[in-house]
Amino acid sequence: MRTLIQRVWQGIVVVAIVATATFILVRLAPGDPFAMAFENPGLTPALRAHWRAAYGLDGSIGEQYVRWIANLLRGDLGWSVSTSQPVAQAIGSALPNTLLLMSVALVLGFAIGMILGAVQAARHNHPADHALGTLTLIGSALPDFWLALVVLLAGAYWWRLFPVGGATDPLMPLTASVLSVALDRAKHLVLPVLTLVILIAATVARQQRAALLERLGADWVRTATAKGLSPMRAFRRHAWRTALGPVVSLGGLALPALVGGAVFVERVFAWPGMGRLAAGAISSRDYHLVVGCVMVGSVVVVLGSILADVLAQRLDPRTAQADADMSRSAA
Amino acid sequence: MTATSHTPLHTLIPMPRLRPVYLTLLLTLTACPGPKDAPRSGASTATGGTLVISAPGEPDNLMPPITTATAGQQVEELVFQRLASIGPGLNTVGDAGFIPDLARHWSWASDSLSIAFQLDSAARWHDGKPVRAADVVFSFALYKDPKTAAAAAAELANIDSVTARDSLTAVVWFRRRTPGQFFDAAMLVLVLPSHLLMTVDRSTLASAPFARAPVGSGPFRFVKWVSSQSLELAADTAPRRAQLDRVVFTVAPDPVTAYTRVATGEADLFESVRPDKVAEVMSNKQLRLLIAPALDYNYVGFNLVDPATGKPHPIFGDRRVRRALTMAIDRRSIVANIYDTLAVPARGPFTSAQASADTAIAVLPYSVDSANALLDAAGWKRGPDSLRRKNGKLLTFGMLLPTSSTPRVRAAVLLQEQFRRVGVDAKIESSDIGGFVGRMTARRFDVVIGAWSQDGGPANARDAWSSAAAAKGGNNFGAYRSAAFDTQLDSALAARSPAASHAHFAAAWRIIIDDAPAIWLAEPRHVMAINSRFVTTGMRPDAWWAGIAHWSIPSDKRIARDVAGAAR
Repeated sequence: MRTLIQRVWQGIVVVAIVATATFILVRLAPGDPFAMAFENPGLTPALRAHWRAAYGLDGSIGEQYVRWIANLLRGDLGWSVSTSQPVAQAIGSALPNTLLLMSVALVLGFAIGMILGAVQAARHNHPADHALGTLTLIGSALPDFWLALVVLLAGAYWWRLFPVGGATDPLMPLTASVLSVALDRAKHLVLPVLTLVILIAATVARQQRAALLERLGADWVRTATAKGLSPMRAFRRHAWRTALGPVVSLGGLALPALVGGAVFVERVFAWPGMGRLAAGAISSRDYHLVVGCVMVGSVVVVLGSILADVLAQRLDPRTAQADADMSRSAA
Repeated sequence: MTATSHTPLHTLIPMPRLRPVYLTLLLTLTACPGPKDAPRSGASTATGGTLVISAPGEPDNLMPPITTATAGQQVEELVFQRLASIGPGLNTVGDAGFIPDLARHWSWASDSLSIAFQLDSAARWHDGKPVRAADVVFSFALYKDPKTAAAAAAELANIDSVTARDSLTAVVWFRRRTPGQFFDAAMLVLVLPSHLLMTVDRSTLASAPFARAPVGSGPFRFVKWVSSQSLELAADTAPRRAQLDRVVFTVAPDPVTAYTRVATGEADLFESVRPDKVAEVMSNKQLRLLIAPALDYNYVGFNLVDPATGKPHPIFGDRRVRRALTMAIDRRSIVANIYDTLAVPARGPFTSAQASADTAIAVLPYSVDSANALLDAAGWKRGPDSLRRKNGKLLTFGMLLPTSSTPRVRAAVLLQEQFRRVGVDAKIESSDIGGFVGRMTARRFDVVIGAWSQDGGPANARDAWSSAAAAKGGNNFGAYRSAAFDTQLDSALAARSPAASHAHFAAAWRIIIDDAPAIWLAEPRHVMAINSRFVTTGMRPDAWWAGIAHWSIPSDKRIARDVAGAAR
């Protein structure tokens, strides 16, 4: 418990440092939120300076930081210039889409990856292991934007099975039934989820296979088998359970993607999620929105790593013991 | 390769080329039917149909005075009205080139210092309230208020005031007579509903609910806006109904996705077809190309001031060097390589579609020999490495460009090679858009590969290239200054007749072309893919979307979504 409280405090400090660093760095980068409107000769730099003042983006970084902290303490994340809405509202409309996309993709990706890894380990050095190994190697090496484009072309252009992009059909009648709306959402999910599942499952499968092979050669598994346990039970109860640790850690690391989204996949499939929002905010130098997105992301990174630690301790008591020892020696 | 040898540069970078048969077809497709042209089939063109536009971005807001994104302007010009609209000739002198819009008639005062606009008595806001002269008075006041910080405020400086003579007559009063005063009154302001905006704080207009759910009086009314996904407009009933039932903008930031939506029939129009997709569009029976003139031009601008010292630039301060560098560039081959036939070499700081254009004007010729001779004369001599030096200093500079612009990235590579042939070492300095603008506005560059998207107003060249704009805070980033150019430009903007205005513009173009503060690179055209079932009208160069209310779909070509639109 004491370790958990320590981790939470550390997490708060990390979020504060990350938000502050982002606040400063994004302002040090060349350009500003009004840079995008620069190729119209009627929009003068003087006018842009006026807008900067109107949106509170004038003055030194220190002054802006004090204003931002004061607003933050009131629960105001600021105004997003590029989307013309409060940052909280912009994040609020993108977050549910990313949560939906990434949760489906992560659950499916991890489930399929773990099964593939287990099959590979169980069939070590068999043709199935080699074939799956080749596929997962290719899958984990594919660039996400390339894979997304291929999936888009195959699923939406060549075979025309699914919509090209977006999260919903913009022409869906307002009177459509709940079932129609749900089906429409599902159809729009297929291609981006498929892309992400390929990428996630390939990585997870390789981790799972490596961890399982290490455990299968361990003394306690051999002992369990020697004591008469069937190979399948020894595999499931003694090898797989302990081999879940690295995969759980991987899950913890992947958790931030639940809110951070997948920038390229969201862009290619025009998915209105956090990844696209953050990428757009960075390219348009929408300062408040960038900081807002980073803050949300860093909070989830911290929570994800804490959750992964807790789960790892539950799965492997040696980790909890090691942490407790470290805490004692530090005290 | 010697300095004088010349390999066509489009052979250096592989580019998909249009086959001759396409070129013929292109010429045919460029000619769009006019507003009164009959539909292509004999079927009825009664109202109905849905136009789905696959757009690369969404509006920043829908509050006309402060909207800067093109996507926002497109929506606003369908939802709101101006007093009068400019015609396809973009003639801004007097009122001859204008078409009635919200104002059905207008009359000039005998001293030409005021114009009385008679509003359409049938005009209604989309909430049912009548449009009145008080709305016009309010709209001008809103645009001119410094708190609003409207982009058009500076251009409205010649308008002294606007009054309501009666409920349907708005009188615009001018400070002085100018050839462009009608343009200022008619085109710069979209008329807004005073009853909905009167109490809104003008310094925070963007955060008003109206900015995301506007109420206008134009041919389409706002229906809904789903952030980052879509925006829907529906035809309004009064006073003149649009042919189509609805227009839906769907957002896809990736150009491949945006185009694929149109190619699969999910959307009907994509406005930025790349040259390498032209053949594909033409082979798709569901689609046809729309090629419209545009008001954008690309240029290679020289910084005439040394960013480090603030003194004249050691290279570009010399007119001979600028002219030499201009003559070293084969713009025709570069434009052909990048755009194929979908752009023409720019002749000066204007485009062919503008009323002020002089398409017969002589430009500095492409001549590597002349370029070499001029550089020699300027003291930049070739060394053993074939590069030029003066007083031991290498003739080298950086070319700043935004990575977001594929044409400019490609142009930079070609320019670099052509500069090298005359012994000039040009380095490519690409930056993301924020960094690019930051350096350009801070004037920390040697050469910039820039672009101007003009709005069709008469003063665009003055905003970008005059001495006044060369001062700090102006848009003349390379700080070109020429009293003769300024004089001709001012005379052109003050001339009372189109012919005199044109003559002064031509003189101004000659001066700036000879001074070569920039290499005028290309005039890209709007190249759009549209579903074949649409009958479109003529495209205005400054706003291809201006005629959407007149577009139609013959009843025998309508698909499910066209019918569904009517049922909503």
